Amino acid sequence: MRRSYLFIPGDVPSMLQNLDVFDADAVIIDFEDGVHPDQKEDARQLTRAFLIHHTPRNVAVFVRVNAFEETAWFQKDLKALSGLPITGIVLPKAHPKDVPHVVKALEGAQLPSYILALLETPEVFFHAHDLASHKAIQGLLLGGEDLTQAFGIPRTLEGEEILFARSTIVYAAKAWQKEAIDTPFTTVDDREGLLVDARKAVALGFSGKAAIHPNHIEDLHDAFAPSSAAIAAAERIVKRSETLKSMRFSLDGKMVDKPVVERARALLSRVSSRR
Amino acid sequence: MKRVTVGTLESSDCQITVSPAKTRQLSIDSVVKASFGEAIEAVIHRVLDEAALNHVLVEVIDKGALDYTIEARLKTAIKRFEEADDETELFVHTG
Repeated sequence: MRRSYLFIPGDVPSMLQNLDVFDADAVIIDFEDGVHPDQKEDARQLTRAFLIHHTPRNVAVFVRVNAFEETAWFQKDLKALSGLPITGIVLPKAHPKDVPHVVKALEGAQLPSYILALLETPEVFFHAHDLASHKAIQGLLLGGEDLTQAFGIPRTLEGEEILFARSTIVYAAKAWQKEAIDTPFTTVDDREGLLVDARKAVALGFSGKAAIHPNHIEDLHDAFAPSSAAIAAAERIVKRSETLKSMRFSLDGKMVDKPVVERARALLSRVSSRR
Repeated sequence: MKRVTVGTLESSDCQITVSPAKTRQLSIDSVVKASFGEAIEAVIHRVLDEAALNHVLVEVIDKGALDYTIEARLKTAIKRFEEADDETELFVHTG
């Protein structure tokens, strides 16, 4: 599971060539909304030349291509990425009806059929389950800005306006063992707000969160890391379970049963994999 | 006269202008010209050779761009140059 997905504009060399020094678990090179229509070709050429000559280390590399419905741009994007060693693509305005066509296009461009679906239209939330069920869809990413724009309402720190969307993504992703990725926090210099927003994503069940600035990465990783108290509690639960050879017992006056033991084991496994 | 400019003057980038000329001509303005001028020229010649372009003036203002950036910016400039008509003066992206 990746905790952080950092957006990098595809047409800015100083960001591209440093994409593996920000310590994000993944980067998303942007060809879509972060790139002016006049600069699309610049982004394609820069990204292609960069990835031909440089192999980013210790980071998964995704490219947010233009939406499938923007056919000419989408096709040019895939042509520019053809054969490059990227992890996958982020598909804007994702809809299940488009996925088979996108997979075919990816195969034609010798690219992996590994798609993070960007859910950002009201309608698609009624198809999130279908979207997540597709083999090529490896994660669902919330596009909070476009979604609230469609509603004609502003984003808030409390996030009540996107609660249904967040919950829908988590349910659909968990049902199919896919990654659930929260929308980025879009204020660059509000660390307190970022932590509140990230902790909310963790509490709702997201596995990771997108970011729009490298300075957000460390705080995201802190938010998605279990607290030392949670790790200690998990260790006690697992130890007690192994000592008693039981999945059902009492600890500190609370009942522990199989789901609790398995959750504790999963938490320790995540911690172990990060060490 | 057809003239196309791409790129920016931001750090790690370069601005490249392509215009018609009787022969292939290069003009390079770079803070690292003493150390990397030949390497920059080599990248430009390679891309121009691949495009079979011999009658152009290529003007480069380099702000510490790596080879891949020079290559990509020049390819974009050539593509726009070849698509432009004779009266076009394109200046894309001011950074």
